Amino acid sequence: MNLRNGKVGFIDLSSGESGEEEVEEIALGEDSLKGILAKHGQDSVILGTGLLTGSLIPASCAGTVTVGNKTMPLMGHAGVELKLSGFDFVVLKGKASKWGYVWIRDGIIEFVETPEIVQLNSWQRTDKIRSDQGDSKIQVLSGGPWCDDGRPAAQLVVNHWGGEDKVSVGAGFGARKLAAVAFRGMGELELADPETHFEGSVEMMQSHLSRLGPNKGLRSYYEGAVGEGFDGLVHRHIGCYSCPFPCRTFLKTEEDSKEFRHMHKEPGYLHFDVSALEAAARAGLSARDSIRALARCAQAGAEPATIITASAARSSHADVAAIEALLADPGDLPPASKGNFELSFSRSADYEECLGLGLCPRYWGKVGLDVRAITKCAESALGRMIE
Amino acid sequence: MHRDSVLTPMTSSIILHIEDKANYFGLVLKTKSEGLVMGRPEGTSSGQQASASGGPGAKPILLREPCDLCDGNPKCARICPTQCIMVVD
Repeated sequence: MNLRNGKVGFIDLSSGESGEEEVEEIALGEDSLKGILAKHGQDSVILGTGLLTGSLIPASCAGTVTVGNKTMPLMGHAGVELKLSGFDFVVLKGKASKWGYVWIRDGIIEFVETPEIVQLNSWQRTDKIRSDQGDSKIQVLSGGPWCDDGRPAAQLVVNHWGGEDKVSVGAGFGARKLAAVAFRGMGELELADPETHFEGSVEMMQSHLSRLGPNKGLRSYYEGAVGEGFDGLVHRHIGCYSCPFPCRTFLKTEEDSKEFRHMHKEPGYLHFDVSALEAAARAGLSARDSIRALARCAQAGAEPATIITASAARSSHADVAAIEALLADPGDLPPASKGNFELSFSRSADYEECLGLGLCPRYWGKVGLDVRAITKCAESALGRMIE
Repeated sequence: MHRDSVLTPMTSSIILHIEDKANYFGLVLKTKSEGLVMGRPEGTSSGQQASASGGPGAKPILLREPCDLCDGNPKCARICPTQCIMVVD
Protein backbone atom coordinates (compact mmCIF):
# COMPACT_ATOMS: atom_id res chain seq x y z
CA MET A 1 0.00 0.00 0.00
CA ASN A 2 1.71 3.18 -1.18
CA LEU A 3 2.05 6.16 1.16
CA ARG A 4 -0.09 4.32 3.70
CA ASN A 5 0.46 1.76 6.44
CA GLY A 6 -2.99 0.27 6.00
CA LYS A 7 -3.52 0.23 9.75
CA VAL A 8 -5.76 1.98 12.25
CA GLY A 9 -4.52 1.66 15.82
CA PHE A 10 -6.79 2.06 18.82
CA ILE A 11 -6.62 2.11 22.59
CA ASP A 12 -9.36 2.13 25.20
CA LEU A 13 -8.22 4.54 27.89
CA SER A 14 -10.66 2.98 30.37
CA SER A 15 -9.10 -0.47 30.21
CA GLY A 16 -5.71 0.21 28.62
CA GLU A 17 -6.46 -2.41 25.94
CA SER A 18 -5.04 -1.59 22.55
CA GLY A 19 -5.02 -3.15 19.11
CA GLU A 20 -4.97 -2.47 15.43
CA GLU A 21 -7.06 -3.25 12.43
CA GLU A 22 -6.04 -3.70 8.85
CA VAL A 23 -7.82 -1.37 6.49
CA GLU A 24 -8.33 -1.64 2.78
CA GLU A 25 -6.80 1.20 0.82
CA ILE A 26 -10.12 2.38 -0.49
CA ALA A 27 -11.31 2.94 3.07
CA LEU A 28 -8.37 5.25 3.75
CA GLY A 29 -9.61 7.97 1.48
CA GLU A 30 -10.93 11.40 2.32
CA ASP A 31 -14.05 10.04 4.05
CA SER A 32 -12.03 7.76 6.28
CA LEU A 33 -12.47 9.92 9.36
CA LYS A 34 -16.25 9.63 9.24
CA GLY A 35 -16.02 5.88 8.93
CA ILE A 36 -13.66 5.57 11.89
CA LEU A 37 -15.85 7.78 14.04
CA ALA A 38 -18.90 5.73 13.12
CA LYS A 39 -17.14 2.51 14.07
CA HIS A 40 -15.38 3.58 17.27
CA GLY A 41 -17.80 6.16 18.59
CA GLN A 42 -18.41 9.81 17.85
CA ASP A 43 -16.78 10.82 21.14
CA SER A 44 -13.43 9.25 20.24
CA VAL A 45 -10.24 11.25 19.82
CA ILE A 46 -8.72 10.50 16.43
CA LEU A 47 -5.19 11.28 15.39
CA GLY A 48 -5.02 11.17 11.62
CA THR A 49 -2.68 11.51 8.68
CA GLY A 50 -3.58 12.70 5.21
CA LEU A 51 -3.47 10.75 1.98
CA LEU A 52 -0.25 12.52 0.90
CA THR A 53 1.32 13.16 4.32
CA GLY A 54 4.99 12.27 4.06
CA SER A 55 5.16 12.47 0.26
CA LEU A 56 7.55 14.75 -1.63
CA ILE A 57 4.83 17.17 -2.67
CA PRO A 58 5.57 20.63 -1.22
CA ALA A 59 4.26 21.10 2.34
CA SER A 60 2.87 17.56 2.59
CA CYS A 61 3.31 17.70 6.33
CA ALA A 62 -0.20 17.83 7.74
CA GLY A 63 -1.94 15.49 10.10
CA THR A 64 -5.06 16.09 12.18
CA VAL A 65 -6.48 15.65 15.65
CA THR A 66 -10.26 15.29 15.84
CA VAL A 67 -12.50 15.36 18.88
CA GLY A 68 -16.18 15.06 18.01
CA ASN A 69 -16.88 17.57 15.26
CA LYS A 70 -13.75 19.62 15.95
CA THR A 71 -10.54 19.10 14.00
CA MET A 72 -7.20 20.82 14.42
CA PRO A 73 -4.28 20.55 11.99
CA LEU A 74 -1.07 18.88 13.09
CA MET A 75 1.90 20.63 11.55
CA GLY A 76 5.68 20.69 11.88
CA HIS A 77 7.01 17.14 11.73
CA ALA A 78 4.25 15.65 13.87
CA GLY A 79 1.98 14.48 11.05
CA VAL A 80 4.79 12.69 9.26
CA GLU A 81 6.17 11.19 12.47
CA LEU A 82 2.70 9.83 13.27
CA LYS A 83 2.60 8.08 9.91
CA LEU A 84 6.09 6.69 10.44
CA SER A 85 4.91 5.21 13.76
CA GLY A 86 3.08 2.58 11.74
CA PHE A 87 -0.49 3.87 11.78
CA ASP A 88 -2.53 6.00 9.42
CA PHE A 89 -5.00 6.77 12.18
CA VAL A 90 -4.98 6.25 15.94
CA VAL A 91 -8.24 6.13 17.90
CA LEU A 92 -8.36 6.99 21.60
CA LYS A 93 -11.56 5.77 23.28
CA GLY A 94 -12.99 5.97 26.78
CA LYS A 95 -11.66 7.82 29.80
CA ALA A 96 -8.66 6.93 31.93
CA SER A 97 -9.07 6.42 35.67
CA LYS A 98 -5.78 8.18 36.39
CA TRP A 99 -3.92 10.94 34.56
CA GLY A 100 -1.30 9.88 32.06
CA TYR A 101 -0.29 9.98 28.42
CA VAL A 102 -0.61 7.79 25.35
CA TRP A 103 2.72 6.59 23.97
CA ILE A 104 2.80 5.43 20.35
CA ARG A 105 5.86 4.04 18.60
CA ASP A 106 6.64 1.53 15.89
CA GLY A 107 3.25 -0.16 15.86
CA ILE A 108 2.75 -0.13 19.65
CA ILE A 109 0.20 1.94 21.56
CA GLU A 110 0.04 2.11 25.35
CA PHE A 111 -1.29 4.34 28.09
CA VAL A 112 1.35 5.41 30.61
CA GLU A 113 -0.19 6.29 33.97
CA THR A 114 1.62 9.36 35.30
CA PRO A 115 -0.58 11.00 37.94
CA GLU A 116 2.04 13.60 38.81
CA ILE A 117 2.09 14.92 35.25
CA VAL A 118 -1.08 16.89 35.85
CA GLN A 119 0.87 19.27 38.08
CA LEU A 120 3.09 20.28 35.17
CA ASN A 121 2.51 22.85 32.47
CA SER A 122 2.57 21.82 28.81
CA TRP A 123 6.28 22.53 28.31
CA GLN A 124 7.25 20.59 31.41
CA ARG A 125 5.10 17.65 30.27
CA THR A 126 6.83 17.57 26.92
CA ASP A 127 10.24 17.69 28.54
CA LYS A 128 9.29 15.00 31.08
CA ILE A 129 7.97 12.56 28.48
CA ARG A 130 11.06 12.97 26.31
CA SER A 131 13.28 12.53 29.35
CA ASP A 132 11.39 9.52 30.74
CA GLN A 133 11.38 7.77 27.37
CA GLY A 134 15.00 8.74 26.71
CA ASP A 135 14.48 10.29 23.29
CA SER A 136 14.53 14.02 22.60
CA LYS A 137 13.02 13.47 19.17
CA ILE A 138 9.63 12.28 20.43
CA GLN A 139 6.73 14.36 19.12
CA VAL A 140 4.43 15.46 21.93
CA LEU A 141 0.92 16.90 21.78
CA SER A 142 0.51 18.28 25.23
CA GLY A 143 -2.26 19.84 27.22
CA GLY A 144 -1.79 22.21 30.12
CA PRO A 145 -3.84 23.23 33.15
CA TRP A 146 -6.46 24.87 30.96
CA CYS A 147 -6.95 21.66 28.99
CA ASP A 148 -7.11 19.61 32.20
CA ASP A 149 -9.90 21.86 33.45
CA GLY A 150 -11.80 21.46 30.18
CA ARG A 151 -11.99 25.19 29.58
CA PRO A 152 -13.64 26.29 26.30
CA ALA A 153 -10.56 28.34 25.39
CA ALA A 154 -8.10 25.48 25.99
CA GLN A 155 -5.31 24.94 23.48
CA LEU A 156 -3.29 21.82 22.78
CA VAL A 157 0.36 22.60 22.02
CA VAL A 158 2.55 20.62 19.65
CA ASN A 159 6.18 20.25 20.77
CA HIS A 160 5.89 23.34 23.00
CA TRP A 161 4.38 25.68 20.42
CA GLY A 162 0.80 26.82 19.93
CA GLY A 163 -1.09 27.88 16.84
CA GLU A 164 -2.83 24.75 15.60
CA ASP A 165 -5.59 24.19 18.17
CA LYS A 166 -8.17 26.93 17.68
CA VAL A 167 -11.14 24.67 18.37
CA SER A 168 -10.37 23.56 21.94
CA VAL A 169 -9.29 20.02 21.15
CA GLY A 170 -7.23 20.36 24.33
CA ALA A 171 -10.37 20.38 26.44
CA GLY A 172 -11.25 17.01 24.92
CA PHE A 173 -7.94 15.67 26.19
CA GLY A 174 -8.65 16.92 29.71
CA ALA A 175 -12.09 15.31 29.73
CA ARG A 176 -10.38 11.92 29.27
CA LYS A 177 -7.63 12.48 31.89
CA LEU A 178 -5.27 12.60 28.96
CA ALA A 179 -2.31 14.87 29.70
CA ALA A 180 -0.55 14.31 26.39
CA VAL A 181 -0.03 12.05 23.38
CA ALA A 182 3.53 11.20 22.38
CA PHE A 183 4.74 9.38 19.29
CA ARG A 184 7.91 8.33 17.54
CA GLY A 185 8.33 6.26 14.44
CA MET A 186 11.05 4.96 12.21
CA GLY A 187 8.89 3.27 9.64
CA GLU A 188 9.10 3.67 5.90
CA LEU A 189 6.54 4.53 3.26
CA GLU A 190 6.42 2.92 -0.17
CA LEU A 191 6.03 4.92 -3.37
CA ALA A 192 4.66 3.47 -6.60
CA ASP A 193 6.99 5.36 -8.92
CA PRO A 194 9.62 7.22 -6.87
CA GLU A 195 11.43 8.76 -9.85
CA THR A 196 8.31 10.25 -11.43
CA HIS A 197 7.04 11.42 -8.06
CA PHE A 198 10.38 13.08 -7.29
CA GLU A 199 10.56 14.83 -10.66
CA GLY A 200 6.97 16.04 -10.41
CA SER A 201 7.44 17.31 -6.87
CA VAL A 202 10.66 19.19 -7.68
CA GLU A 203 9.05 20.76 -10.72
CA MET A 204 6.07 21.84 -8.63
CA MET A 205 8.30 23.26 -5.88
CA GLN A 206 10.45 25.24 -8.31
CA SER A 207 7.36 26.64 -9.99
CA HIS A 208 6.06 27.80 -6.61
CA LEU A 209 9.36 29.32 -5.50
CA SER A 210 9.80 31.27 -8.71
CA ARG A 211 6.45 32.94 -8.00
CA LEU A 212 6.88 33.41 -4.24
CA GLY A 213 10.32 35.03 -4.23
CA PRO A 214 12.60 35.12 -1.18
CA ASN A 215 11.22 33.67 2.04
CA LYS A 216 11.11 35.82 5.17
CA GLY A 217 9.50 33.33 7.51
CA LEU A 218 6.27 34.42 9.16
CA ARG A 219 6.69 37.85 7.57
CA SER A 220 6.07 36.23 4.18
CA TYR A 221 2.58 35.30 5.36
CA TYR A 222 1.71 38.02 7.85
CA GLU A 223 2.49 41.66 7.24
CA GLY A 224 2.11 42.39 10.95
CA ALA A 225 5.34 40.51 11.62
CA VAL A 226 7.40 43.43 10.36
CA GLY A 227 9.06 46.47 11.77
CA GLU A 228 11.88 47.05 14.15
CA GLY A 229 10.18 45.31 17.06
CA PHE A 230 10.00 41.92 15.37
CA ASP A 231 12.97 42.21 13.04
CA GLY A 232 15.36 42.76 15.93
CA LEU A 233 14.21 39.57 17.66
CA VAL A 234 14.28 37.15 14.72
CA HIS A 235 16.63 34.24 15.29
CA ARG A 236 15.73 31.81 12.53
CA HIS A 237 13.01 30.58 10.18
CA ILE A 238 11.99 26.94 10.29
CA GLY A 239 10.09 24.85 7.78
CA CYS A 240 7.69 22.04 8.51
CA TYR A 241 8.34 18.74 6.75
CA SER A 242 8.66 19.25 2.99
CA CYS A 243 7.88 22.98 3.13
CA PRO A 244 10.08 25.11 0.86
CA PHE A 245 8.56 28.41 2.06
CA PRO A 246 8.40 28.40 5.89
CA CYS A 247 6.02 30.42 8.04
CA ARG A 248 7.66 29.58 11.38
CA THR A 249 9.93 32.19 12.88
CA PHE A 250 11.76 31.77 16.16
CA LEU A 251 12.14 35.04 18.04
CA LYS A 252 14.44 35.49 21.01
CA THR A 253 13.33 37.66 23.88
CA GLU A 254 15.69 36.61 26.64
CA GLU A 255 19.06 36.85 24.87
CA ASP A 256 20.77 38.25 21.81
CA SER A 257 18.87 37.13 18.73
CA LYS A 258 22.02 37.36 16.65
CA GLU A 259 23.64 34.63 18.72
CA PHE A 260 23.17 31.27 17.02
CA ARG A 261 23.58 29.17 20.16
CA HIS A 262 21.17 29.27 23.07
CA MET A 263 22.44 30.27 26.50
CA HIS A 264 19.15 30.93 28.24
CA LYS A 265 16.94 27.99 29.23
CA GLU A 266 13.92 29.57 27.56
CA PRO A 267 15.39 31.94 24.97
CA GLY A 268 12.21 32.70 23.06
CA TYR A 269 9.24 31.35 21.17
CA LEU A 270 8.43 29.85 17.78
CA HIS A 271 5.78 31.95 16.06
CA PHE A 272 3.27 30.90 13.45
CA ASP A 273 0.04 31.92 15.14
CA VAL A 274 -1.12 34.87 13.04
CA SER A 275 -4.47 35.34 14.77
CA ALA A 276 -2.79 35.57 18.19
CA LEU A 277 -0.27 38.13 16.92
CA GLU A 278 -3.09 40.16 15.44
CA ALA A 279 -4.85 40.12 18.81
CA ALA A 280 -1.62 41.20 20.48
CA ALA A 281 -1.23 44.09 18.02
CA ARG A 282 -4.81 45.20 18.65
CA ALA A 283 -4.17 45.09 22.38
CA GLY A 284 -1.13 47.33 21.96
CA LEU A 285 1.43 44.78 23.13
CA SER A 286 5.01 45.32 22.01
CA ALA A 287 6.68 42.63 19.90
CA ARG A 288 8.65 41.42 22.91
CA ASP A 289 5.58 41.27 25.17
CA SER A 290 3.57 39.53 22.44
CA ILE A 291 6.15 36.77 22.34
CA ARG A 292 6.19 36.42 26.11
CA ALA A 293 2.39 36.40 26.26
CA LEU A 294 2.14 33.63 23.67
CA ALA A 295 4.71 31.59 25.55
CA ARG A 296 2.75 31.89 28.82
CA CYS A 297 -0.45 30.86 27.05
CA ALA A 298 1.24 27.84 25.46
CA GLN A 299 2.56 26.71 28.84
CA ALA A 300 -0.91 27.00 30.36
CA GLY A 301 -2.58 25.27 27.40
CA ALA A 302 -4.71 28.34 26.72
CA GLU A 303 -5.66 29.89 23.38
CA PRO A 304 -3.72 33.19 23.21
CA ALA A 305 -6.02 35.30 21.01
CA THR A 306 -8.79 34.73 23.55
CA ILE A 307 -6.58 35.50 26.52
CA ILE A 308 -4.99 38.64 25.06
CA THR A 309 -8.34 40.00 23.87
CA ALA A 310 -9.97 39.37 27.25
CA SER A 311 -7.04 40.86 29.10
CA ALA A 312 -7.21 44.02 27.01
CA ALA A 313 -10.95 44.28 27.61
CA ARG A 314 -10.54 43.98 31.37
CA SER A 315 -7.81 46.53 31.85
CA SER A 316 -6.85 49.78 30.22
CA HIS A 317 -3.28 48.62 29.70
CA ALA A 318 -2.63 45.06 28.50
CA ASP A 319 0.71 43.64 29.54
CA VAL A 320 2.29 40.31 30.37
CA ALA A 321 1.51 40.63 34.09
CA ALA A 322 -2.19 41.17 33.39
CA ILE A 323 -2.20 38.18 31.03
CA GLU A 324 -0.53 36.00 33.66
CA ALA A 325 -3.13 37.08 36.20
CA LEU A 326 -5.92 36.19 33.80
CA LEU A 327 -4.39 32.78 33.07
CA ALA A 328 -4.38 32.06 36.80
CA ASP A 329 -7.91 33.29 37.40
CA PRO A 330 -9.87 33.34 34.15
CA GLY A 331 -13.44 33.07 35.32
CA ASP A 332 -15.90 32.21 32.58
CA LEU A 333 -14.06 32.99 29.36
CA PRO A 334 -15.54 31.98 25.99
CA PRO A 335 -13.20 31.30 23.05
CA ALA A 336 -12.63 34.30 20.79
CA SER A 337 -10.32 33.03 18.07
CA LYS A 338 -11.67 32.62 14.55
CA GLY A 339 -8.85 30.31 13.58
CA ASN A 340 -5.29 30.38 12.32
CA PHE A 341 -4.64 27.85 9.55
CA GLU A 342 -8.42 27.74 9.09
CA LEU A 343 -8.28 31.25 7.64
CA SER A 344 -5.93 30.25 4.82
CA PHE A 345 -8.84 29.78 2.42
CA SER A 346 -12.03 31.79 1.99
CA ARG A 347 -13.98 28.53 1.53
CA SER A 348 -13.94 26.03 4.38
CA ALA A 349 -14.35 23.21 1.85
CA ASP A 350 -10.93 24.09 0.36
CA TYR A 351 -9.37 24.08 3.82
CA GLU A 352 -10.85 20.67 4.61
CA GLU A 353 -9.82 19.20 1.28
CA CYS A 354 -6.28 20.48 1.70
CA LEU A 355 -6.01 19.08 5.22
CA GLY A 356 -7.57 15.77 4.18
CA LEU A 357 -4.86 15.39 1.57
CA GLY A 358 -2.21 15.98 4.23
CA LEU A 359 -1.13 19.33 2.79
CA CYS A 360 -0.47 22.52 4.74
CA PRO A 361 -3.44 24.89 4.27
CA ARG A 362 -1.28 27.98 4.82
CA TYR A 363 1.24 27.11 2.12
CA TRP A 364 -1.34 25.91 -0.38
CA GLY A 365 -3.61 28.84 0.39
CA LYS A 366 -0.73 31.09 -0.65
CA VAL A 367 0.35 29.28 -3.81
CA GLY A 368 -3.21 28.30 -4.78
CA LEU A 369 -4.69 24.85 -4.30
CA ASP A 370 -4.10 23.39 -7.74
CA VAL A 371 -5.84 20.05 -7.30
CA ARG A 372 -5.15 18.96 -10.87
CA ALA A 373 -1.37 19.40 -10.51
CA ILE A 374 -1.40 17.79 -7.06
CA THR A 375 -3.41 14.85 -8.33
CA LYS A 376 -1.02 14.21 -11.21
CA CYS A 377 1.96 14.21 -8.87
CA ALA A 378 0.14 12.22 -6.19
CA GLU A 379 -0.84 9.42 -8.54
CA SER A 380 2.79 8.65 -9.26
CA ALA A 381 3.28 8.11 -5.55
CA LEU A 382 0.04 6.25 -4.88
CA GLY A 383 0.04 4.14 -8.03
CA ARG A 384 -3.64 4.65 -8.55
CA MET A 385 -6.10 7.25 -9.72
CA ILE A 386 -7.56 9.71 -7.24
CA GLU A 387 -11.21 10.52 -7.64
CA MET B 1 18.75 23.69 18.23
CA HIS B 2 16.33 24.73 20.90
CA ARG B 3 13.30 22.47 20.73
CA ASP B 4 13.18 21.99 17.03
CA SER B 5 15.10 19.94 14.59
CA VAL B 6 14.96 18.88 11.02
CA LEU B 7 13.35 15.73 9.77
CA THR B 8 16.00 13.72 8.04
CA PRO B 9 14.46 10.89 6.05
CA MET B 10 15.88 7.58 7.16
CA THR B 11 17.49 6.76 3.87
CA SER B 12 19.12 10.14 3.41
CA SER B 13 22.91 10.00 3.23
CA ILE B 14 23.30 13.66 4.14
CA ILE B 15 22.42 15.29 7.45
CA LEU B 16 23.01 18.52 9.31
CA HIS B 17 25.92 18.91 11.69
CA ILE B 18 25.42 21.31 14.60
CA GLU B 19 27.64 22.19 17.52
CA ASP B 20 27.09 24.53 20.42
CA LYS B 21 28.93 27.41 18.82
CA ALA B 22 27.63 30.68 17.57
CA ASN B 23 26.72 30.85 13.87
CA TYR B 24 28.22 27.46 13.21
CA PHE B 25 26.86 24.47 11.37
CA GLY B 26 27.71 22.12 8.58
CA LEU B 27 26.81 18.92 6.80
CA VAL B 28 27.76 15.28 7.16
CA LEU B 29 27.78 13.04 4.10
CA LYS B 30 28.15 9.29 4.27
CA THR B 31 30.32 8.29 1.33
CA LYS B 32 31.33 4.92 -0.06
CA SER B 33 35.01 5.72 -0.32
CA GLU B 34 35.81 7.86 2.71
CA GLY B 35 33.11 6.96 5.19
CA LEU B 36 31.68 9.99 6.94
CA VAL B 37 32.78 13.30 5.44
CA MET B 38 32.04 16.36 7.50
CA GLY B 39 31.86 19.80 5.92
CA ARG B 40 32.28 22.63 8.41
CA PRO B 41 33.24 26.31 8.23
CA GLU B 42 36.90 25.41 8.80
CA GLY B 43 36.93 22.86 5.98
CA THR B 44 36.18 19.22 5.33
CA SER B 45 37.33 16.23 7.32
CA SER B 46 36.66 12.51 7.29
CA GLY B 47 37.11 9.35 9.28
CA GLN B 48 35.46 10.44 12.49
CA GLN B 49 32.20 10.10 14.35
CA ALA B 50 29.67 12.74 13.41
CA SER B 51 27.53 14.54 15.90
CA ALA B 52 24.46 15.48 13.97
CA SER B 53 21.18 17.18 14.58
CA GLY B 54 19.10 14.07 14.10
CA GLY B 55 15.42 14.86 14.19
CA PRO B 56 12.07 13.16 14.05
CA GLY B 57 12.13 9.92 12.12
CA ALA B 58 15.90 9.97 12.09
CA LYS B 59 18.26 7.03 12.27
CA PRO B 60 21.95 7.38 13.11
CA ILE B 61 23.79 8.10 9.89
CA LEU B 62 26.07 5.12 10.44
CA LEU B 63 23.04 2.88 9.84
CA ARG B 64 22.16 4.54 6.56
CA GLU B 65 23.13 3.81 3.00
CA PRO B 66 26.22 5.63 1.71
CA CYS B 67 25.72 8.32 -0.92
CA ASP B 68 25.90 7.09 -4.52
CA LEU B 69 25.38 10.59 -5.92
CA CYS B 70 22.13 9.32 -7.45
CA ASP B 71 24.08 8.26 -10.54
CA GLY B 72 25.53 11.72 -11.03
CA ASN B 73 22.43 13.82 -10.39
CA PRO B 74 22.08 14.14 -6.60
CA LYS B 75 18.44 14.46 -5.58
CA CYS B 76 19.22 16.20 -2.29
CA ALA B 77 20.65 19.14 -4.23
CA ARG B 78 17.76 19.24 -6.66
CA ILE B 79 15.06 19.29 -3.99
CA CYS B 80 16.86 21.71 -1.65
CA PRO B 81 14.69 24.86 -1.85
CA THR B 82 17.40 27.26 -0.67
CA GLN B 83 20.30 25.77 -2.65
CA CYS B 84 22.22 25.21 0.56
CA ILE B 85 23.15 21.86 -0.94
CA MET B 86 25.02 22.27 -4.20
CA VAL B 87 27.08 19.93 -6.34
CA VAL B 88 30.60 21.10 -7.15
CA ASP B 89 33.52 19.32 -8.81
